[in-house]
Amino acid sequence: MKAIARHHGKVTVVDLSGKITIGEGDIKLRQAVGAILDEGRKNIVLNLGGVSYMDSAGIGELVACYKRAKEKGATLKLLNPNGKVQDLLILTKLQEIFDIHRDEREALASF
Amino acid sequence: MGRQVKLRLWSRIAYVDLVHEMAERLARSACFSKEGALNIGLAVREAVINAIKHGNGMDASKRVEVAFEQNANVFRVRVADEGHGFDWDHTRDPRDPDNIFRSSGRGIFFMKHFVDHVDFQRRRGHGTEVILEKRLESASRAGRGANNTRRRKG
Repeated sequence: MKAIARHHGKVTVVDLSGKITIGEGDIKLRQAVGAILDEGRKNIVLNLGGVSYMDSAGIGELVACYKRAKEKGATLKLLNPNGKVQDLLILTKLQEIFDIHRDEREALASF
Repeated sequence: MGRQVKLRLWSRIAYVDLVHEMAERLARSACFSKEGALNIGLAVREAVINAIKHGNGMDASKRVEVAFEQNANVFRVRVADEGHGFDWDHTRDPRDPDNIFRSSGRGIFFMKHFVDHVDFQRRRGHGTEVILEKRLESASRAGRGANNTRRRKG
């Protein structure tokens, strides 16, 4: 899994690619979001467009990142979950929890 | 019984990808669609993670056995650990508002969703065996499997 952060004004977009699974992807996701929060940035968009699938550990880490952001007064939103990732968000009802966007400009403007 | 493939692994998370990949390849060779094979791979992945974490308690000296079987009707995967057993009867629904913010507890839920049947059997002596079954004729209807848990003990 790769995580590349880019800043658009007050918003940080993290482009994720590969798979978010136990042992590697989940740890990289935790580190990427942790680093952004440690910098004091409050608005985060996780771009899931390049993520092929997640397992229960990956989904669990997504939830943990959401909670950690909230605890630090930050907001974490999702962009472009596709295929299996979208299926898993619907299956787990997490699509009702996360603010999910299809268009990046719309996601950036939503903060 | 048709073909059978068996693996014996130490309890290391690093092996989860290997088993997942093997599950997908064997499912594809059993004529499951790409989506159906991914679903089987994800179910097997969760069963192996469960065996390593909750069955063997992350004890790297304990092993996990994975057996892939196929007959004319069913693709079946058995995942057995050497631990003290875990409580599969009292798993929480991760979609429940009280549980939805939990960062764990979705593995068995995913298994039940991705295959047609999930059985849990207490192994004589020690450990638990999880049996995942997917009907071959349902390969094109990937991703179903609600209320599909059967349990046997002894």
